[in-house]
Amino acid sequence: MTAAPTAAAPRHSRIIDLLRGAPILGPVAALILACIFFATQTDRFLSGANFSLILQQVMVVGTLAIGQELVILTGGIDLSNGMIMALSSVLTTGLIANSGVHPFLAVVLGLAVCVAFGVLNGWLTTAIGLPPFIVTLGTFNIAYALVRIYTTATITSVPDSLLFFGNTFSIGSTEITYGSILMLVLFAIAWLVLGSTRAGRSVYAVGDNPEAARLAGIRTSRVLVGVYAMAALSYGIAGLLLVARTGVGDPQAGQTGNLDSITAVVLGGTSLLGGRGQIMGALVGALIVGVFRNGLQLMGVGSIYQVLITGILVILAVSVDYLSHRAK
Amino acid sequence: MTATTATPQGKVLLEMKDIGKSFPDVKALQGVSLSVREGEVLALLGENGAGKSTLIKILSGAYTKDEGEIFFEGQPVTIRSPQDAQDLGISTIYQESNLAKDLTVAENIFLGRLPAKGLLVDWETVRKKSREILDRLGATISVDAIVSTLSVAEQQLVEISKSLNRKTRILIMDEPSAVLGESDLERLFQVVRSLQAEGIGIIYISHRMREIFELADEVTVLKDGRFVGTRRVADVTMDELVRLIIGRDLEDVFPRREVVPGEVLLEVKNLRRARLVHDVSFQLRAGEILGFAGITGSGRTEVVRAIFGADAHGGEMRISGKPYRASSPTEAIRRGIALVNEDRKAHGLFLKLDVTVNTTIAALKGLCRAGFIQRAKEKALVQKLIQDLRIKTPGASSIVLNMSGGNQQKVIISRWLAIDTRILIMDEPTRGIDVGSKSEIYQIMNELTKRGVGIIMISSELPEVLGMSDRILVMREGTIVGELARADASEEAIMKRAVGGDLAQGAAARA
Repeated sequence: MTAAPTAAAPRHSRIIDLLRGAPILGPVAALILACIFFATQTDRFLSGANFSLILQQVMVVGTLAIGQELVILTGGIDLSNGMIMALSSVLTTGLIANSGVHPFLAVVLGLAVCVAFGVLNGWLTTAIGLPPFIVTLGTFNIAYALVRIYTTATITSVPDSLLFFGNTFSIGSTEITYGSILMLVLFAIAWLVLGSTRAGRSVYAVGDNPEAARLAGIRTSRVLVGVYAMAALSYGIAGLLLVARTGVGDPQAGQTGNLDSITAVVLGGTSLLGGRGQIMGALVGALIVGVFRNGLQLMGVGSIYQVLITGILVILAVSVDYLSHRAK
Repeated sequence: MTATTATPQGKVLLEMKDIGKSFPDVKALQGVSLSVREGEVLALLGENGAGKSTLIKILSGAYTKDEGEIFFEGQPVTIRSPQDAQDLGISTIYQESNLAKDLTVAENIFLGRLPAKGLLVDWETVRKKSREILDRLGATISVDAIVSTLSVAEQQLVEISKSLNRKTRILIMDEPSAVLGESDLERLFQVVRSLQAEGIGIIYISHRMREIFELADEVTVLKDGRFVGTRRVADVTMDELVRLIIGRDLEDVFPRREVVPGEVLLEVKNLRRARLVHDVSFQLRAGEILGFAGITGSGRTEVVRAIFGADAHGGEMRISGKPYRASSPTEAIRRGIALVNEDRKAHGLFLKLDVTVNTTIAALKGLCRAGFIQRAKEKALVQKLIQDLRIKTPGASSIVLNMSGGNQQKVIISRWLAIDTRILIMDEPTRGIDVGSKSEIYQIMNELTKRGVGIIMISSELPEVLGMSDRILVMREGTIVGELARADASEEAIMKRAVGGDLAQGAAARA
């Protein structure tokens, strides 16, 4: 019958317009403001070495956030990512240390297992139609159990070749970790794929309206399975970065990886409803968390307060996002 | 078919005078009046979008009116909320069931008003009174049955019982027959008549003419949100009534159709879908506009969705003589078939994404080189389509959510013009679109047929069907019941086939 007409757009501020047009501007502004704030609070903040340190500190969660961003863009959520990361790091180091597998082969096997987990996530979501929250809650536990069944002891004898991404190179006097460069390269690849390929467009289309996507000829199941698989690949790589940074294969790792990566994605302005958000937002989001942790630490604030402030940040960021969209 | 013999004697219960209602960009109702007497059945008629729903929502308190007055038993009243409506004794039975499916019949009838005996619910009274109400309606269902185990018709009886358990003076029934099969109709009629006998005034909405003549005392017709007229059913023929509903003279919005249809593009044989479509066969020629007429629920949308591969189905199809298996929309698109959906927001648009993405989503394969979308080429294509279709938008990177219905529809059409579409299926192509854009969409359709595109158009607007189609197929209850050449088609001819042959005879006898 008479289609319920959309409410007329009342006047709203240009700032809201701008934020909606380029949702990444808000997070970038927040990041810059945070940097300015900490620069005024402590003179140790503003240095190449400190920024390099921040990058190194966020490289694992940042890489996890790449996969999480992909999944959230499709309107899903991935709770299993930290455990898939732990599986990759433990399995790869364990295969080398305990079974004498060649490091290269061990890396490939570790990543393959991760991708298999991703395919499982995607398959359960599409073929059976389970909500991603439930599916990945299940695989979170399964992966956790598999890690602990495989080993409960930290694997300490890690070959040098696996530590490469923890090494640094110098630009001037600043030491930069190879791993943080890898993270940036991965972000660049994801950005290119999402923005400039058919597959990337399909991710947004499926996230915005899955039925319309199907009726526009997109094979939505393939897109979703592909997204979960690629996301899991990024978790696998995050696992390798974790090994490179800590020097061990830790079966206790990754338990908060899901929430940390969701935090980065949300701070980066991505809608949990799917279809809206930018991959670089996840990088900015991860950096915001990194800058706050680092800055507060330099100011001598205890780590539990850093967590407190991260929590407040998330709620603030999402409130701004919701309010700007409600003013439609 | 005996028209009810009641004479207009009961006292007037409800009167609505010059009701107006506007939404930000639509005037939904203007100067609409109606009145209902005790024990009278008033049929409210009009095409989709005529304003019936808006009027009902005003009566039931879901919307508030902007203009006009409402009188109840001669006293002016204001209805600002569903509670106000209920206090006056106005109940509404919507098409969608509002029952708690996991509770029993009796619990539903007393939902929210369970009587207490001390601290406990007085189940004895609940069951006894529920039984009484059901008996009044001649319903034999058990008061202890769980609602979800009942048939749709039985659930409807529970719904009616629920409103009877409150004070009900006026009962609004929004297409109560739409969900019922033929066999359940008679029972519904009996129920309506018994309510009538109790002095309840009934506002009855239906698209089925037969019911109107069987049940109603008076009809009030709306069109485009305006009041067309009220007639005694005894004084009106079906042809007259159809004319009242369809209304206005054909404005000069339709382009001249000069294309001579060419070779057969699409051949459909014995298309079937369980319970929805039975053995539908037809052909579509190049350059032809084939109109599908019929009432809502007659199976038209189900037919075209099957052709587009959107739903599972049986039957055989050929495109230009070559076998075609509609296994998925992807396959349909690959073979040159496109579907403009009835509900563009739910099934067509990516509302939060921009014009470019919406337009080129099906065309990306041709725009990619080495796996990457060639931006310049994409931009040029989108610009050309924006110009060709006269899409009004600030730019290709604007979000489609904020565009008008007409422009959104053009974006969807542009999606299919961005690729090599040879068979374009349009389901209600101009629903909810202003007259200006409508005319532009007709022009586009005309242009496409000149290029040899075959168009299947489903439309519930008869002027549109008549104005645009070269040939018209009429569907009823999942089958094609008539084919009309453009020259032989008239609104009456279509409507008679769409609502049923027996009715056509009855109406002829009446006239």
